[in-house]
Amino acid sequence: MAPRSLTRAALAGLTAAALLGSAACGSGFDDSSGDATQSSGPASLQILIGSSGDAETKAVQDAAAKWASSSGNQATVTPAQDLTQQLGQALAGGTPPDVFYVDAARFADYASVGALEPYGDKISNTGDFYESLRTTFTYDSKLYCAPKDFSTLALQINTDLWTKAGLTDADVPTTWDQLTATSRTIKAKGMVPLALGDTRDRIGAFLVQNGGWLLSEDGKQPAADTAENVAALTYVKSLVTEGLARFPKQLDAGWSGEAFGKGAAVMTIEGNWIKGALKNDFPNVKYKVVELPAGPKGKGTLSFTQCWGIAAKSKYKDQAIKFVEAMTSGEQQMAFATAFGVMPSRQSVRDQYTSAFPADKPFIDGAAYAQGPVNAPKMDSVLQDLEASLQGLAGGDPKTILANFDKNAKAALGG
Amino acid sequence: MAIDAVAAPATATARPPRRGGRGVRGNENAAGWLFVAPVIVILGLFMLLPILMAFWVSLTDWNGQGSPFTSEVPVVGAENYTRLFTEDGLDRRDFMTSIRNNIYYVALVVPAQTVLALGLALVVNNRLLKGKSFFRSAFYFPSVTSSVAISVVFLFLFANSGAVNGLLRLFGIDGPQWFADPRGVLHLVLGAVGVDSPPAALAEGGPFGLSWWDWLSGPSVAMMSIIALVVWTTSGTFMLMFLAALQQVPVVLDEASTIDGASRWQRFRHVTLPLIKPTTFLVLTLGLIGSWQVFDQVYVMSQGDPAKTTLTPAYLSYRTAFRDFDYGSGAAISFVLFLIIIVLTLVQRRIMADRDADGRRSWRRAVRRGGRP
Amino acid sequence: MTTLTDRSAAAAPAPVGGRRARDGRALASRVLGYAVLIFFGLVFIYPFVIQIGNSLKTEPDAAANPLSPIPDPLVLAGFERIFAGTNFPLWLGNSLLVTVLVTLGRVFFDSLAGYALARLRFHGRRWLFAAVVAVMAVPPVVLLIPKFLVLNQLGIYNSYTGLVVPLLADAAGIFIMKQFFESVPVSVEEAARIDGAGVFRTFWSVVLPMAKPALITLTILSFQGSWNEFPHSLVSVQDPDLFTLPRGLADLVSGSLGKGTQYPLKLGAALLATIPVAVIFVIFQRYFVRDASEGAEKG
Repeated sequence: MAPRSLTRAALAGLTAAALLGSAACGSGFDDSSGDATQSSGPASLQILIGSSGDAETKAVQDAAAKWASSSGNQATVTPAQDLTQQLGQALAGGTPPDVFYVDAARFADYASVGALEPYGDKISNTGDFYESLRTTFTYDSKLYCAPKDFSTLALQINTDLWTKAGLTDADVPTTWDQLTATSRTIKAKGMVPLALGDTRDRIGAFLVQNGGWLLSEDGKQPAADTAENVAALTYVKSLVTEGLARFPKQLDAGWSGEAFGKGAAVMTIEGNWIKGALKNDFPNVKYKVVELPAGPKGKGTLSFTQCWGIAAKSKYKDQAIKFVEAMTSGEQQMAFATAFGVMPSRQSVRDQYTSAFPADKPFIDGAAYAQGPVNAPKMDSVLQDLEASLQGLAGGDPKTILANFDKNAKAALGG
Repeated sequence: MAIDAVAAPATATARPPRRGGRGVRGNENAAGWLFVAPVIVILGLFMLLPILMAFWVSLTDWNGQGSPFTSEVPVVGAENYTRLFTEDGLDRRDFMTSIRNNIYYVALVVPAQTVLALGLALVVNNRLLKGKSFFRSAFYFPSVTSSVAISVVFLFLFANSGAVNGLLRLFGIDGPQWFADPRGVLHLVLGAVGVDSPPAALAEGGPFGLSWWDWLSGPSVAMMSIIALVVWTTSGTFMLMFLAALQQVPVVLDEASTIDGASRWQRFRHVTLPLIKPTTFLVLTLGLIGSWQVFDQVYVMSQGDPAKTTLTPAYLSYRTAFRDFDYGSGAAISFVLFLIIIVLTLVQRRIMADRDADGRRSWRRAVRRGGRP
Repeated sequence: MTTLTDRSAAAAPAPVGGRRARDGRALASRVLGYAVLIFFGLVFIYPFVIQIGNSLKTEPDAAANPLSPIPDPLVLAGFERIFAGTNFPLWLGNSLLVTVLVTLGRVFFDSLAGYALARLRFHGRRWLFAAVVAVMAVPPVVLLIPKFLVLNQLGIYNSYTGLVVPLLADAAGIFIMKQFFESVPVSVEEAARIDGAGVFRTFWSVVLPMAKPALITLTILSFQGSWNEFPHSLVSVQDPDLFTLPRGLADLVSGSLGKGTQYPLKLGAALLATIPVAVIFVIFQRYFVRDASEGAEKG
């Protein structure tokens, strides 16, 4: 068709759109930022969770059902396939779920745009939460949401394969050198020694073990490009290139726990959630949990946490707060711990937990030397970029990767 | 219906059966607009209006909270656009990486699908073979299936212990770990001839924040599996287009050149190919336009991973908006992509208009000259 | 394009001279032709065979023998889990609803508009047609964010309305119908008009019944298009209760932690999502074919 008619078509289109546009504007998009009208009486709460697996989904659903029937409300728990995306669309669409998991790494983003209701002062006995967890979910000196639980990374060993490789308890690695040596022994037997997630949330532990981390201690400055971090990442790279560590995708698995469960690797580095997943999907795997091998600068691991976020736009904030109150009670946290292996965020049940799950000692011990997540706003795309580089670690240069992170982080943090 | 009531009196006046009487015209005017009204509303509301709204959003820093059409939303002008091109940072690097990936994708997909489609069409058009219609359907079937469903199948085929690697093993080849392999194919080729790390000249510099070495990576191994999928699904459609064109080639021409003693290749090269030139051009440009829009496959199969080597502008715009809440930047990326595609479309329509006339002329000439165009 | 039949009938008889040499060449080319056909036949069909085979396997079997089409042992566990462990029935229902509504809408609205653009003289007709052609050039993927914005603004994000209404008309369908109506002889309508039928009546009871082939083509294209539609459902809903099959399938695959690979299940679900289109394809093949080759002629 001739360009002239295209121009005219565009003109016609613009006119039509302008006409329609003026008619359409004004509806939709609840403009009142935040304070949605509150409904009292029986609520119908929508709860969106980013589940670690069927075990967690079921446990939360059961707990919500129990709360609903005892309080006379309704509570629907939906496990998200992709929590970030689903929540992002829901928030932008003005129809967010009432209660949802908020990951520590995403918390600052949500809080800074006013999507979260700061309800911390309405929850009983907040002093009982571990202080580091409270700090994680504090923005503008307000506690926004109640920490759900927390977990740390440890080393899981498949005991059957361990024996098959001719190894004994004495071979359990406690240093990097031992990790390398043991892994070589396993590889010589034709097995994959270590399934390692190709994300900062796993590889980052090695940085901590070498006395480094991505950000400065106050979390406001990038600090990735240091000799310690480069050395740590170079060590991980050597594990990968030598075939001592494999990423889950290389083992046809969605995550390391699956590879480990299938027996595709002898060891893996995962958090408490692997217990529930293994129990559910691979009940026959025999394994034990030990602390991560220490690096040149001592022990190091990562800790993870989420909180129960309440949408600023929720119509049932009061009921939602009561729901969170119930979910974070010591008793309920123990129930969750039993079901899917996370650790309670309330100190008052710590002893109860340690005595109930002695095998989890390595996870709890890790809490003492764990590094918390990056939780500054606008950092997600920077971290995503780091992840992408880590996926290419085998062919990448550790120093370049870390320097790039610093450059991007600096821009994001406004440094 | 209301339209009937309006139209009836006018036609009842027994006018001659020529249209053009004012009454009929007038009624047709109203009826015409009534007939197209639903379509105008739907296309206007869900095609044109959204484009205008998104253009506005691309000029703001809207973060997905509340309405983007209030005075509270910070307007940043063209900054979302300039950041993609001039500012050294993550946004530009991601965008340029996605452009690079898509260029390599286009460079492989378009020629591959065109050649394959033409080849299949030639075979299916061979009049000595039986059972062609079955094969024609078989080749075409992947084109009509759901892109999501097919992506699932290819995820399995290209899994590390999947069918493709199983097939390669039969030939004693250890297949790559397709979706976990971010290495660029060109880098691999260079690596094979001993160039493992970037030569100093290529390691630095390079336009738009990517080094020359990065620009020259070639499609990643992971991208190759998406390319294979797309070539496999689109060839069928293009084969049908070629087939239609081939069936327009007059038999007389073929016969004439056979008598002239032209070889099969000569005949193809000098008779068939010139005659189907318009179709070839159409297939090339449609392929070019289509392959800048790859989204579904990336969403399902790789989400841009590994190491951003399957990131495409379409997927990047989606991710920037819906995962990073940077709707302004995401919308800006879609508009740049829009521009790329519109330019390609206009070029195609322009040249097709010329070629169409040309094609017909040369066709007639060819017939007159007995097969030697 | 009217025929896609073999041209052998039209072939001129071979000249007498050099017949033997030509026979030899013909045989060779025939063998080669079949070889190529069969090779590509396998390339294009075998993935589906593998899909069917592996959907009936156990997971270890699928991982160990991905190439084999024969399940050993044959298990229905994958399909059982599709119906028991996923929301597949819900997705199926949503997909059916969306597909039926969208197909009906497109057939009706597109033919109304196509008829008006082909036959009715009204002011702005040429502009409008140019606009339709322009809209055809708008790539769907750049509409992801725009559509999301407008659905939100209209307050129909995350609803069946938002899922269905924007798809109710499409420019390509209008184009097809316009082309068709232009090929219908004017005399037919004029006879009806003289008999006193109004515009709509003429369209509805005289012209439309003649348009059966075009309507079938449009129906099939709309069915196929809306059944497979993915990007629109991605930005128009986020409530899992509103997921259509492609959306559900995509989420199943890009799945979260703990879902695991589960290839038999995923392949089975993809297979079930393919079957309706496959059935339609087998029955109405020539209409699919017609559309693609018409594209070649229209440019």
